[in-house]
Amino acid sequence: MGRNDGVGGAIPVELAINGKTRRATVEPRVTLADFLRDECRLTGTHLGCEHGVCGACTVLVDGAAVRACLVFAVQVDGTEVTTIEGIASPDGELSVVQAAFRDCHGLQCGFCTPGFIVSVTAFLRDCPNPSDEQIREALSGNLCRCTGYQGIFDAVRQAADTMQRGEA
Amino acid sequence: MKPAPFEYHAPETAAEAVDLLVEFGDDAKLLAGGQSLVPMLALRLAVFEHLVDIRRIDGLTGIERRDGSLWVGAGTTDAAIETSSETATAVPLLHRATPLVGHFQIRSRGTLGGSIAHADPAAEYPAVALTLDACIEVASPRGERTIAAGEFFDGIWSTTLEPDELVVGVTFPIWNGRSGFAIEEFAIRHGDFALAGATVAVEIDGDDRIERCAIGLLGLGSTPERATAAEAELSGRSVAEIEPEEVGRLAVAGLQSVPDDLHGSALYRKQVGAAMTARAWTTAVAEARLG
Amino acid sequence: MSDPTPNTEGRYAGSRIRRVEDARLLTGHGTYVDDVVLPGMLHAAFVRSPFARAAVRDIETSAALEAPGIHFVLTAADLNPGVHEQWHTSIGPKMPETPRPPLAEGEVRFVGDPVALVVADSRYLAEDGAELVEVDYEPLPAVVDYTGAEQADTLVHESHGSNLITGFANMPASALDEVFDSAACVASETIHQQAVAPLPIEARGIVVDYARSTGELTIYASTQTPHEVRLFCSRLLGMPEHHIRVVARDTGGGFGQKVMVQRDEMVLMLAATKVGAPLKWIEDRRENLIAAGKSRHEHADVKMAFDADGAIQAAYIDFVQDCGAYPTPWPISAAASVGMLWPGPYRVPRAGFSVKTVYTNTVGRSAYRGPWQFESLSREVLLDIAARQMEIDPVELRRRNLLRRGELPYANANGMTYDNVSPLETFEQALEMLDYDAFRAEQAEARRNGRYLGVGMGNFVEPSTPGQGYYGTEAATIRIEPSGRVNVYIAGGSSGNSIETTVVQLAADALGAKLDDVHTTQGDTAITGFGAGTAGSRSASMTAGAVRETATALRTRIAAIAAHQLEAAPDDIELVDSRASVRGKPDAFVSFKELANIAYFNTRKLPPGVPAGLEASARYSAAVQTIWVNATHICTCEVDPTTGRVQILRYIVSEDCGPMINPSVVEGQIAGGTVQGIGGVLFEHLAYDDDGNPITTTLMDYLLPTSTEVPKIEFGHIETPSDGPGGYKGVGEGGAIGAPPAVVNSVADALSPFGVTLTRLPLTPARIATLLHEQRNR
Repeated sequence: MGRNDGVGGAIPVELAINGKTRRATVEPRVTLADFLRDECRLTGTHLGCEHGVCGACTVLVDGAAVRACLVFAVQVDGTEVTTIEGIASPDGELSVVQAAFRDCHGLQCGFCTPGFIVSVTAFLRDCPNPSDEQIREALSGNLCRCTGYQGIFDAVRQAADTMQRGEA
Repeated sequence: MKPAPFEYHAPETAAEAVDLLVEFGDDAKLLAGGQSLVPMLALRLAVFEHLVDIRRIDGLTGIERRDGSLWVGAGTTDAAIETSSETATAVPLLHRATPLVGHFQIRSRGTLGGSIAHADPAAEYPAVALTLDACIEVASPRGERTIAAGEFFDGIWSTTLEPDELVVGVTFPIWNGRSGFAIEEFAIRHGDFALAGATVAVEIDGDDRIERCAIGLLGLGSTPERATAAEAELSGRSVAEIEPEEVGRLAVAGLQSVPDDLHGSALYRKQVGAAMTARAWTTAVAEARLG
Repeated sequence: MSDPTPNTEGRYAGSRIRRVEDARLLTGHGTYVDDVVLPGMLHAAFVRSPFARAAVRDIETSAALEAPGIHFVLTAADLNPGVHEQWHTSIGPKMPETPRPPLAEGEVRFVGDPVALVVADSRYLAEDGAELVEVDYEPLPAVVDYTGAEQADTLVHESHGSNLITGFANMPASALDEVFDSAACVASETIHQQAVAPLPIEARGIVVDYARSTGELTIYASTQTPHEVRLFCSRLLGMPEHHIRVVARDTGGGFGQKVMVQRDEMVLMLAATKVGAPLKWIEDRRENLIAAGKSRHEHADVKMAFDADGAIQAAYIDFVQDCGAYPTPWPISAAASVGMLWPGPYRVPRAGFSVKTVYTNTVGRSAYRGPWQFESLSREVLLDIAARQMEIDPVELRRRNLLRRGELPYANANGMTYDNVSPLETFEQALEMLDYDAFRAEQAEARRNGRYLGVGMGNFVEPSTPGQGYYGTEAATIRIEPSGRVNVYIAGGSSGNSIETTVVQLAADALGAKLDDVHTTQGDTAITGFGAGTAGSRSASMTAGAVRETATALRTRIAAIAAHQLEAAPDDIELVDSRASVRGKPDAFVSFKELANIAYFNTRKLPPGVPAGLEASARYSAAVQTIWVNATHICTCEVDPTTGRVQILRYIVSEDCGPMINPSVVEGQIAGGTVQGIGGVLFEHLAYDDDGNPITTTLMDYLLPTSTEVPKIEFGHIETPSDGPGGYKGVGEGGAIGAPPAVVNSVADALSPFGVTLTRLPLTPARIATLLHEQRNR
């Protein structure tokens, strides 16, 4: 979209969300997280802190994992955004990462889970054969209070091993 | 925790961005990666009526060699630096500092220019810039100028940038010869701001004597610090007879405004800083000796 | 790791069944309170006190009311008179509770005290409006240091007449003077635990939808106790209970902070009756850290007397707890538990306690996973200190004093009787898993190389499943639908406890149904019978009881109908895989589907005396007053003396929660509690400055453990059944009880060459390094 002339009030944006084009007008201060939840009714992206620490709001912007609470919706004009709702296949089959979380008891209350799933999806794409230490470091940007990270670590390990074996 | 209202601008040139800074003065703030600014806006610790986003500005991103130095555009993300083999070869200290910056989700958006301009005394990039005597290129209505890193940081979250100046890039000198580089920091948890850290660059001659060295400290003052007294003392000496602990002691001696808070006293931070300096020194020297 | 088919006994209980909750939660289709969107919904934000204590002289709302999108600005004058009664069911109306004004009335008593409610078209606009509300505060002296609160001149609550909330002792310390004075060895310390926050990743939240036309009120809440929310609300508003519906579909963690309705939710309930639209409040993280409640801020003088062989002769604890300004609830119970449980799983012939709870001008105390856990922390830490003093190995000291199965039931010296526990057995199993001797050898070698490794342990017994009063019953309705599928309706209150899955497992077993044929509906008060919710580690046993009671009635009916169909005796009917078959004749069966068809649509085929339909409801009354659980936690660590960093090396839990409904769920609960315990020792600190201003108001300062700080946790299981249904015991809280002493003791053991005593938490790197530095300079 063209240059914004700085007039207060709503700004038009156009972006792809989970593969579908979305047009909207947004107030500049609305975060991407709130835009997804309120405007797009995609409530899988959760708000755990709204200051960029807990990672519950993680989404992919042009493939990169970002904290949606630290990005304004106006900033993602022209980009492709993937949320937790776009991770499973269109017919509902869980991704390797999602299946691994299910198999390894990687969630309890589920509130932090979307952030983890999206973060891990990006991480394993960029680092397909991680060591245990690399996994722990990659997970350190997401907070969980229920699982003690045990099932989460196991899930990432399983997902990485599954992808390495080519069993996607 | 929702930010106060603001108007949003996404100029396409540095000149337009600067014009906006001139027009709105103190009411305007540049928005780069937002990883430091947006939390402050959400907490309403900072309120600006105008945000000027740099993301569309031409010529603000990129990593390239220029005249024996490495130029990194202000809008270049930490993630781009992390995956840049050019950076790994040309300015290893910058490359090695990058994985320590927060978490990978932060690095997707955070920028070099944003980190430098935000000037957090515990951040890695300001310390690296100071250690390597980097040059910060800025644009303003008066044209372009360069600020030496040693003259850039003047207080906590404060720089010598004029209100109408935009950082467009940072140029890092490339060290040739037998050199080694290391960064060591201590954070309570992985990815947290360091309580204390050290960035070390060292070059030795054919006899393993210190040709030059640069020691930067993070988290130990209101700005990143250069341990110039320590550097002077170490210059010319043979590496074999330098104990890393001595380097650490020298580096933190005379530090004035070391932070003191819930996470650690000033004395503690100095002790940790000395230990980090010693560790970084050891690693950097070992690398230099292989050269 | 997970398999939907039954284990070798043809039962689902005991297997790591995949969770039924996961399908929606993995794909972002859970329904947490902030996901609830109702037409015309308005949004609330609070104006909160910036002072620890102040008189509220005036509240000027006109500027706020003129801001865009602001509908209402409500104060105590508008809302507080609407209170009919407010008390928590588990406490009752007669307890001398802390005054609980919904909005602050005339005086604010902590930073974060809610003063006004702004109602707007969006949360963004509500926060804008909140900034424009002008409150004229007159700051007053505040009571911040709880250790001096009892003696302070300033009163947090004038009406109470004292800052001492409650205080009692079963005997004064002097009553044991004779034992202590003549003992071969006495260990005594003062042990301090810092304030921490339960910090569920989803903060609190509530949507209240009052329809004046019908008089019906619907609440969507982030809660562990949906039925209690309904009861509390009905009393609060003077509205009949049956006009109120509470729905809790998914709650993002609770850990005790969401067990009781607090003042903020009271405000929303009252406000909703005035604003003419559904009203939503979602707590943000800063609010959660300053106003949702703190826990564990306490200390005690503790002492133990030993004979020459290290056998414990007596133990005394003198305990003081900071309850802030508005504790929820009246804090007598958890404090008393500290005293009564203080002897722990040990043979302690004589023991006494004194407990005091005090008010301060800080955020009120809320429940948090094992609220009495200070007893285990202080006892186990003291035992290690005593062991070092007496130069006895801490393992040996414990071994001599731990209770053995043969000694049970055992009445501890403070009046609690333990049964069906295995303290010595979990201890020995954990030690074996560690290979204790090998670790000591490794430690010695490391010390020779200038590295400091340590091992620490914690043993505890825990009272779970309170079997009386508000918590003492649980009901279920089980309906086999016309299609033969099974629905189980039970109160719920899950905030991550996996009780949808475990209820499905239990019901499938109880009825002989296929797992995939069973579904559960929980968390909706319109559909389920009263249940106390998830608290007190009660859910395993109570849901098992409810399901068993209800299923028994249904099984009898199913067997009768099938027997009639198959011309067999009811006693010969077996229920397996959603079929009723004749024992020994696998071809003679009728499916649940066919049985349902008869029961609903072909009732002439029913045997005489059997009613139509296939549905039963029953309410289980707890078989016993307390179900005791025990575990042993062992932690090894390395400490860097320069930075003070603690690196946990191995973490072992040997636990006895009886038979397990789902081992993955058990281990997950223990792991979560353990990591909260690790956080509480090494990272977390809800701190205030001397003026009562909270310092740790964001997650940048309040530090939760991340995956890099946490070890792989190794589990051992011992199974000593309880006297409750299925032999199940509670397991939700144990991790948070056993972990802190294990971690503290491992650090103390690592640093024992330096001669430092660790009695004050948290053990942050700075504190450890500073302690060592001071010791070196002594």
